[in-house]
Amino acid sequence: MNKPTGVLQAATERRQPLGFSLGEYLRGMDWVLLAATLALTTYGFFMLYSATHNDPTISTPFFYVRSQATGLGLGLVFLIALSIFNYQRFARWQLYIYGGSILLLILTLVIGSGNATVGANRWIALPGFRLQTAEVVKFMLILSLGAVLAEGVELRHRFRFVVLCIGYVLVPGILVFLQPDLGTSLVFIAILLIMLIVWGIRLSHLGILAGTGVFLSVLVLRILPKAFNVKLLKDWQLARLEVFLNPAKYPTGYGYQLFQSKIAIGSGMFTGKGYLAGTQHNLNFLPERHTDFIFAVIGEELGFMGAALLIGLFAIIVWRAFRIARMSRDLYGTLIAAGVAGVLVFQVFVNIGMTTGIMPVTGLPLPFVSFGSSSLVVFLMAIGLLESIHVHSVAAPR
Amino acid sequence: MILEPAKKRRPSEDDSFIGIRVGVLLLLAFLLFGVLGFRLWYMQILSGPQYVAYATSNRTRTVMVEAPRGVIYDRKGKVLVENRGGLSVGLLAMDMPDPEKNAFEFDQEISSLTKLLGISKGDVLTAYKTATRDPYVTYMLQEDVPENTVVAYLKEHGADFPGVVVQTAFLRQYPLRALAAHVLGYVGEISSNDIGQQEFLALKAGAHVGLDGVERTYDSYLRGTDGWKTVEVDAAGNPKQIIDDYPAVAGNNLVLTIDSDLQKAAEDALVEGIQRAHASGFDKAAGGAVVAMDPQTGEILAMASYPNYDPSVWVGGISNTDFQELNDDPNKPLFDRALDGLYPAGSTFKPFVASVALNTGVITTNTIFNCTGSFTLKGQTSSQTWKDSGGAHGDVNVVQAIEQSCDVFFYNVGWLMYQQQGAQLQDGLRSFGFGIKTGTGIDLPGETDKTRVPDLTWKRATGQTAEEQLWKPGDEINLAIGQGDLLVTPLQLAVACSAIANGGTVWVPHVGLEITDASGRIIRPIQNEVRNKLDISDTILKAVRRGMRLVTSDPTGTAYDAFRGFPVAVGGKTGTAQKKPDDDYALFMGYAPADGMTAPQIVVVAIIEQGGKGAGVAAPVVRRVMQAYFGKGQGSAASISNPKE
Repeated sequence: MNKPTGVLQAATERRQPLGFSLGEYLRGMDWVLLAATLALTTYGFFMLYSATHNDPTISTPFFYVRSQATGLGLGLVFLIALSIFNYQRFARWQLYIYGGSILLLILTLVIGSGNATVGANRWIALPGFRLQTAEVVKFMLILSLGAVLAEGVELRHRFRFVVLCIGYVLVPGILVFLQPDLGTSLVFIAILLIMLIVWGIRLSHLGILAGTGVFLSVLVLRILPKAFNVKLLKDWQLARLEVFLNPAKYPTGYGYQLFQSKIAIGSGMFTGKGYLAGTQHNLNFLPERHTDFIFAVIGEELGFMGAALLIGLFAIIVWRAFRIARMSRDLYGTLIAAGVAGVLVFQVFVNIGMTTGIMPVTGLPLPFVSFGSSSLVVFLMAIGLLESIHVHSVAAPR
Repeated sequence: MILEPAKKRRPSEDDSFIGIRVGVLLLLAFLLFGVLGFRLWYMQILSGPQYVAYATSNRTRTVMVEAPRGVIYDRKGKVLVENRGGLSVGLLAMDMPDPEKNAFEFDQEISSLTKLLGISKGDVLTAYKTATRDPYVTYMLQEDVPENTVVAYLKEHGADFPGVVVQTAFLRQYPLRALAAHVLGYVGEISSNDIGQQEFLALKAGAHVGLDGVERTYDSYLRGTDGWKTVEVDAAGNPKQIIDDYPAVAGNNLVLTIDSDLQKAAEDALVEGIQRAHASGFDKAAGGAVVAMDPQTGEILAMASYPNYDPSVWVGGISNTDFQELNDDPNKPLFDRALDGLYPAGSTFKPFVASVALNTGVITTNTIFNCTGSFTLKGQTSSQTWKDSGGAHGDVNVVQAIEQSCDVFFYNVGWLMYQQQGAQLQDGLRSFGFGIKTGTGIDLPGETDKTRVPDLTWKRATGQTAEEQLWKPGDEINLAIGQGDLLVTPLQLAVACSAIANGGTVWVPHVGLEITDASGRIIRPIQNEVRNKLDISDTILKAVRRGMRLVTSDPTGTAYDAFRGFPVAVGGKTGTAQKKPDDDYALFMGYAPADGMTAPQIVVVAIIEQGGKGAGVAAPVVRRVMQAYFGKGQGSAASISNPKE
């Protein structure tokens, strides 16, 4: 990029309040990232249709697809808006963003609604829309934590600062955990870890964190329930974990879910049973097949090829996200790009790992594919954020 | 500090390692995606076929399709047994809650079923246990359940009854109700003894087979082959589409030699015979049997046993109370007297004894004994047991002895036979089919093997004392008049009488005529089978027949009154058998036409237990059956044709 200097630069900035022309903007877009995102979203729509078109409880086969399309429209608008918007402003609004996310989570616990059968409050009902607050907070956390870390870049040698950051994440983390949404609180931890690593946490500090994490896990899962009868995890959360460790012992319930998912994926073999022709999900054996278990539909109908294509698209997005992290003109951009990439990798691995039986059932949706407008809108916003970093690094590096 | 605006710094300015860290994280991300890819490769490509098998068993259910049993017709094509559709409740064990893991749900379901079907909990649990042997196949719990109560309730509360299946089933129906019940037999669940037997191969517990009568004998023809369907079901077990369909093959039909009109006449005549016995003072008369047979073929035209039962009580499984009631009835309605009833033949035995005696040459048709009303042997006086008519007969030959049922003549014959070498009388009688352990060989199950023509061998085998183990003249003399230790069945009498009537052919009697398919085409005719030919000359049999003809045609004949005015010439023999301490058993056997010109077409044997006189009680029963056979009314004006024999 040739950099305009002096008066010319000042004049350019006056003429272009965004800091770049339309041509520069278009050239500054990461088209590979955008194309992969749109391809993945389209793929998701086809699979959502397949998973839901013969659901007897819906009036039209397009019921879920239509609902998801609203999220797509909204998400694309946000994506474009964010790609133009200078992400650096978010750093200045850090305190408001953080405060807002805490408020949202408290509000969810107070007035939220959700799945009564598991006693969870996850949504805030808005007119025509149910906002799954944890999804939004995920990205608000990336933005605000990124700002804190970028600000404290000189304090990398100070363990107290690291502890402060942990506390910073722990507050929304515990609020989400109380909903209860164990999966999303684990996503928060993943965000914290990946951003700390990119930020440049000392290896010794990382070691202390890892040791503490292992100790706390053992405490929560083994020592507290047994010795003191303190159960921080709900019974069904423990049950899912137990099923993951011993799937054969639980042919019904969560074990059933997992077993049916594995049957669907495995029976897809190399080429799958054909689009709309999956027997397991069409015959209703797959629970939650349009949300958390949609990957099983893909695996069954499109086989290994379809699954590989899906993972390939995710790999492209993650690759572009890390690339953007590297080329960002500032540390803040690097941190939030890495945070977005981390969330994607974590959710994709946990979700597909769960449907294939190598991860416990945690109820995390598959980004861009699982049904759920909140998730889709927020992930498209995240792509917008990445584009913003890309555009501003390429078209307006200073 | 964190509240201050972020300082914008180029990462490269203060951290040259940041690019490496991001790169390492990217590699880690790809590594994780690689793990997923490897996992998918393992599941979908390496273990794919195994998961395909899981998926198939997951979504398919195999349903047995019951084959309808063949229809049973009488010889004129009238339906005796057919099928009707019914509803049954079965258990599909694979869809039921696990009794160990989900004990509460399981107990709930079992007790609900118990209440709904009105059967005991033990029965339901036993059925469940059987059902678990093949959990993918529905096992019948109760048949013929009412639609508007039980089935409607099950449909409404389907969620409370996982694994409880309502199926349509074929049930036996008897348009003529109890007619020929003993011949037809009944159908029920295969017994544990029969499972795995050659003729029931490939049948599993709960399968329906014939348990008695022709249903049992011809089961392999009637049964048909069950089909099966593989049905794709959804997670709730609702059928969605049929994947494989092997249709059931209906069983073949069976045509019987039985004539349902004649059978009806025989059964009615039996009831009348008992009423007649009651009217003549024999109040203990309560049971009897009639056998009508074609002496030229061995076909059974009618076979009745009284009292009988309604075979429809077995449809849908007989209840314990119903079975107890039938089984405990002192009159034994389940007992087929025609096939299994063992009686002393009494005087009906005389034509056979006469045939054997004439054949051995101890007497000729000219041999005359003087009947004074008693017979004395070695100073030991055996007073004549004169039951058929009173008084001394004077000089009688063998024909007159049969006609007038003269015991003294046959006492003499018995004494003469006793003096012969070996057991010629017994051997001769056995050639008629009497006393054979394997029975007559009729195509019905459960024929008695207790029949007996007593001889020295039998006495030696059963006698308690040295005295009892001797074959004494009195034994032979008693045998000569059909008394003593002799035991015959009505069916044996009919077969033996046929042999006299047809000139010496002892048939294997049969009730099956032919097997036909659904379109009526004959698949297998059931052959007439000759058991043996009597080694007795026609002249002898002719003489015996002359005596039997005179029984009904000569005013001095014992059954003259019973057949007076009957339009067709009948030959016969009365019998009044003693079986202490019971009242006398009334017997009659006859054949017709007995004019000596036309071949006899029918032999009828009747017995009324404790009915008294054969002439007064049993002979009218035979007459009634013959009337039905020849289609002539009781009041027919035709006179009795003059006997030519």
